[in-house]
Amino acid sequence: MRKVWIIGLNSFRESLRKKTLYILLVVALIVIGASKAFSFLTAEEELKMIKDVSFSSIEFFGALIAIFISLTTISNEIEKRTIYTLFAKPITRQNFFLGKFVGIVMILFLNFILMTLFFMGLLIFKKSPPDIQVFKTLFLIFIELILIGSITLTVATFASDAFNIIFSVFLYIVGHLTSYGNQLIERTENIILKGLGQMLYTIVPNYENFNIRDKVVVGVEVSWNYVTKTTIYGILYILVVLLIGSYFIQKREI
Amino acid sequence: MPVIETKELTKYYYLGRNKVVVGLENVSFSVEEGEIYGILGPNGSGKTTCLKLLLGILYPTKGEINILGKNQFDIEMKKNVGFLPENPYYYDYLTGPELLRFYGRLFELPEKVINERIEKLLYLVKLNDAKKLALRHYSKGMLERIGLAASLINDPKILILDEPTTGLDPIGCIETRDLLLQLKKEGKTILLSSHFLSEVERVCDRIAIFHKGFLLTTGTLKELMERYGVTGLEELFVKTIEEFDKKEKQK
Repeated sequence: MRKVWIIGLNSFRESLRKKTLYILLVVALIVIGASKAFSFLTAEEELKMIKDVSFSSIEFFGALIAIFISLTTISNEIEKRTIYTLFAKPITRQNFFLGKFVGIVMILFLNFILMTLFFMGLLIFKKSPPDIQVFKTLFLIFIELILIGSITLTVATFASDAFNIIFSVFLYIVGHLTSYGNQLIERTENIILKGLGQMLYTIVPNYENFNIRDKVVVGVEVSWNYVTKTTIYGILYILVVLLIGSYFIQKREI
Repeated sequence: MPVIETKELTKYYYLGRNKVVVGLENVSFSVEEGEIYGILGPNGSGKTTCLKLLLGILYPTKGEINILGKNQFDIEMKKNVGFLPENPYYYDYLTGPELLRFYGRLFELPEKVINERIEKLLYLVKLNDAKKLALRHYSKGMLERIGLAASLINDPKILILDEPTTGLDPIGCIETRDLLLQLKKEGKTILLSSHFLSEVERVCDRIAIFHKGFLLTTGTLKELMERYGVTGLEELFVKTIEEFDKKEKQK
């Protein structure tokens, strides 16, 4: 595990040098800050707006950062040929892959914390300190971001950057539409289409599971039971994805 | 006793439909403990492919590799091997000591040992005045030298060096050559690839000539010169390659 941590820390340091990361972070903070601009609304509506925009921004820009960082972390090592010196060291390819994953989680956590602190600051400024529902929402967003990052990282073990970015963005969109897709599947009478649809519905990650912001913003309480179940779903999905990635990195010719 | 041994090592690269490029074809050789073994060959002869296979970076299509009694993927074996890639690229945001520390930690060396070795190796490769300089500000020669230091961080029994003098000025080449001879005296086994004939001639106990993925010949320079009836390495190199190309044309 120590080797994984060492590689993760180095990967984190490397990711910190990417300018795109800061651009995305600054844009996210501007959007979150701009949510305060709706001063013509009533205090309650304004607070809802701040929460809604902030949750959405943290999720959306967090997802972009997760895809962007995970996309290049392995290909950069191959392009710059630093991977040769790494693979010549007493590490397994799984150590390398998991190290990259740890690096991604660290960079996501840092960005997530910065965006969250800014959002919290806004709430406190509006004299409405965050309640437990806000923390539940943010926690599930963070799990979703790790899941997005782990999928992009895994695809990076066998596909090109160009394919990966299209795939990851497509999956991000589809993953948020699976519930609608399921409704369509249920209405379909064609057995083949129905079977295919159900298979896709099972395989494609349901990112909407992690979205409780619409409820929290309007004051609906989300139970701990739901948060726990969704967290377990997320962790299991991440584990399966990492297993697949470990398999492909082992097979890959550098 | 051989510390590195390959048997019928073969690597094919599959490029699309029915297109196969030979990286290495049935290469068998062994490197004895404490010797400097040089792999010579023109560009694209299979030198780097061979080294990458030895380090487990590439997977062989066929054949066996034995290093210190283990296969090329064995983690314990890798603790005793140092590697310098051709035109080394490192994490350019790190300083020399940071790079050495990073690799030292991957070998699970105690911090005290790492600190001692960093001091010793930076002095050895004459980079102790550049401790605070990030690698992105290093010259090509400095990168080669820090790479050499990085390959020694684990005090390896075996050193595998891919074109260790590429990018070095004449003085740097002489210093590297002296360093290799010093390391040999310390009992290290060195396997190096190069296309600089004079470098190989001066430091290597035995050589192997590669061409188009084939191992054409191997032995001490004296043996090979006698066998081929030539008077120097350059002549030997040209003759073996020309003979191979001629035979290939006849086929």
